[in-house]
Amino acid sequence: MLRGEDEDASELKIGEDFLKAKCLMNSEVAILLEHRYDQMKQMSGDSTPLPQVFEKSLQYVKCFSRFTNQGSVKQVRDRYQLAEFELAVIGNLCPETVEEAKAIVPSLKTKGRGHDDEAVERLLNDLLMIKKFE
Amino acid sequence: MFLKVELPWNVVIPPANLVAKGLMLKKSISLRLLKGFAANKATKDHGYFLAITTVESIGEGKVRRSGDVVYPVVFSCITFKLFRGEIIEGVVHHVLRNGVLMNCGPVENIFLYKDLMPDYRYVPGENPIFLNEKTGSKIVKDVLVRCVVLGTKWLEEEREFRGLVSLEGDYLGPVS
Repeated sequence: MLRGEDEDASELKIGEDFLKAKCLMNSEVAILLEHRYDQMKQMSGDSTPLPQVFEKSLQYVKCFSRFTNQGSVKQVRDRYQLAEFELAVIGNLCPETVEEAKAIVPSLKTKGRGHDDEAVERLLNDLLMIKKFE
Repeated sequence: MFLKVELPWNVVIPPANLVAKGLMLKKSISLRLLKGFAANKATKDHGYFLAITTVESIGEGKVRRSGDVVYPVVFSCITFKLFRGEIIEGVVHHVLRNGVLMNCGPVENIFLYKDLMPDYRYVPGENPIFLNEKTGSKIVKDVLVRCVVLGTKWLEEEREFRGLVSLEGDYLGPVS
């Protein structure tokens, strides 16, 4: 586990455990939590209060969800060689230009990763198409 | 960032529950796991615990001297953790003289210090705001703000994280 001082998401230093863990976009979490919410309501009815952490997170992801079609987002995930973390940040914030994408995901700029501007532009266009046709 | 992680857990079943028929065992283990999970709001290493997605495996139970049986369980769940350097979007819930407080997901207290809001000035009043004189943009309650995480702090007693963020960087600030 990385100590606090070594951790830096802008350089993709987020600890081995988390690089292996699957990063979820707000939209994916929204689907999972809504499903869980329905299950919990069915099991215990309206009487049991939901844990606050759950409620706040559900509110947040519903508000910040950008995509509704998870299938197509998964396709974009497979087509480009991005770390899970990078793709999740892009999926959450939906940058419109290549400059914006590089500003919010600084690790894209790291040399030797083979992500030239054209590749990033194609990725952003793909995501934009997905949003348009949802 | 929301993450899906696989975690190990030891579920303890007291002898009273073991009297039930064998088929009910898996259900008792699941229920206990859910209760334990919900009670454990967050940990320093993994962040906030949101929901269990699947139970991957239930190992062989070991009987303790007290008569309880401990089952090692591996399950997948959704967690939330803020990483230093990550760009997040939060919602302002309080405007103070020296900065604003935001929440992002389950984290309720993320502080944006006024000196880290370039070009924004505090405007006092009944509904205080932070105003950017150059662009006219306002940071006020319920505004969505995109910022970069400078650091986080784990508070053991309250079992929660506090965050410190900044607007210093390209493409950061209120989001329309």
